[in-house]
Amino acid sequence: MTVVAEATVRAGAAAPASPPALEVVTVDQVKRSFGVVQALDGVSLAIAQGEIHALVGPNGAGKTTLLRVLTGLVEVDSGFVRIMGLDPSRSMRDVHRRLGVVVSGARSFYMRISGRENLVFFARLHGFSRREAVARADELLDAVDLGDAARRPVSGYSTGMQRRLAVARALLGEPALLLIDEATHDLDPQSAARVRALVKEAARNGAAVLWTTQRLEEIRGFADRVTLLDRGTVRFDGTLPHLLMHAARDQFLLRLSGLRVARAQLTGPDGTRLGALTPSDAGGDHYVLTLDPGAVLGDALEALGSMGARLLSCSEATPSVEEAYLTLIEGART
Amino acid sequence: MTALAAALSSDARAELSKVRAFLRRDLLTAWSYRVAFFSEWVQLAFQAALFYMVGRIVNPATLPTYGGTRATYMEFVAVGIAVSVFVAVTVARVSAQIRQEQLAGTLEALLLTPTTPATIQLGSVAYDLLYVPIRMGIFLLLVALGFGLHFHASGVPAAALILVAFIPFVWGLGIASAAATLTVRRGTSAISYLLTGLMLGSGSYFPIAAFPAWLQGLARVNPLTIAVDGMRHALLAGMSGGELLRTAGILAATSVVGVIGGALAFRVALRRERRRGTLGQY
Repeated sequence: MTVVAEATVRAGAAAPASPPALEVVTVDQVKRSFGVVQALDGVSLAIAQGEIHALVGPNGAGKTTLLRVLTGLVEVDSGFVRIMGLDPSRSMRDVHRRLGVVVSGARSFYMRISGRENLVFFARLHGFSRREAVARADELLDAVDLGDAARRPVSGYSTGMQRRLAVARALLGEPALLLIDEATHDLDPQSAARVRALVKEAARNGAAVLWTTQRLEEIRGFADRVTLLDRGTVRFDGTLPHLLMHAARDQFLLRLSGLRVARAQLTGPDGTRLGALTPSDAGGDHYVLTLDPGAVLGDALEALGSMGARLLSCSEATPSVEEAYLTLIEGART
Repeated sequence: MTALAAALSSDARAELSKVRAFLRRDLLTAWSYRVAFFSEWVQLAFQAALFYMVGRIVNPATLPTYGGTRATYMEFVAVGIAVSVFVAVTVARVSAQIRQEQLAGTLEALLLTPTTPATIQLGSVAYDLLYVPIRMGIFLLLVALGFGLHFHASGVPAAALILVAFIPFVWGLGIASAAATLTVRRGTSAISYLLTGLMLGSGSYFPIAAFPAWLQGLARVNPLTIAVDGMRHALLAGMSGGELLRTAGILAATSVVGVIGGALAFRVALRRERRRGTLGQY
């Protein structure tokens, strides 16, 4: 069992002139079991102010349990958890004052009353006066583009609208920490992008964000750091480029002419295996070249030349987050 | 010390102001179920009519006297129905509220706000603790007018005071029931049995004298009996200040025990669920 950890400077501390970013979440060696199931097994994690930290992993990896531990709703068996320096299970109210949570699951609102009344209600529980609550609710409803539907009962909202309302609720208290559980899970791409934009804006304003998701590709260009959790254990913790290195299978997209075969196993003059050539989904004269470990691109291209192929173009294939994810998960299980 | 007291008092005020938000939420929700809102009244009317018919076959000699005057069965049972329905509805709603929040997924959302569990408990039932007694008063008024019952108007304030002293006890029962709901989801049966026992042994529908001798002793210390009997005395015969203070005092003491017991049970249940990690599960 290996944990791939990356020793990087915390977000915001890269430039020497910048002060180090405040660590909002500190999780150290946390263990939690439910009966015989070890949901969290020595999980460590840190999230800095203004950082979007993606938490990915297969179903049952322990993502939601970790989120619930951070809210204080689930106690740990052992380990150390601090939110803004506070133990969430002991200082729950103080933590909740600066915490915004988008819970998983479709329903978490009073369906018979309007979106606006729901937000006003939760704002009141955050300590706003009625007047302040109404103003804040209206402001957030506009921000999540629900102003027109504000007075309709939530039961008439689509899933995407309910998610946006949940994000608005999470932002009510101008949180220092946002915990977001599968917020884009069942949203169309447009709604998902809108939700991510809202969260990104909150992070720009200084909120630390823990974002759990199954939509792996959405963390590209969105998350600053990634933690991959599997069976309660951290398999990877680092930046996205470092995660993607695990997907680097040395693949190249080629355009070739003069080739008479659809696929080929490439070998060097001494019989060394160099890689495989397969047709690309793009069809026509497009191919995918996957190099074997240790093989050099030049040798493979030379082998293709000896087969009568003429190289028209060559570019490196972009590794997918999913490939990196699968490499790490499968690697840990074999 | 003064600053600490001021901070505590400001915190308490802030928490109390949240109860108003719960009241508004529940009023809006209740109003959105207008058919159910009115059908409750129809049910009560049917119940009153049923007991009116039963009253016609009851021998008046078996009924107790209040202030030297023998009550009719309808007068006797109307107060019993009102108080029993108040207890049953309040307890059911207090515990159902938590279950409802669990099923709707809103319990977790509530618990993630900086609100004390006590405020959530009080807020969740504030609407019912206000609405159900008002409904009970209107029911008694309509029954008195509709069936020609002789209630003393002068006894209304005393009956109201008895009710006020009794409400926290019912709330405590409700919280205990909510704690059971939180812990064993659908397992409110223990509280339901307790409630049924309290109601059957309260003399709400039949005079205590009709019970077996061993049950009569238990019935006399049943808080529901004390409340129902006190209200009957107040409404059917008027009540002296001393009698009223004695009744209200006993009920207030019972209420303190009920609320503390209920709150402790809820606290223990909440703590247990957090330890087990099953708070949001249903």
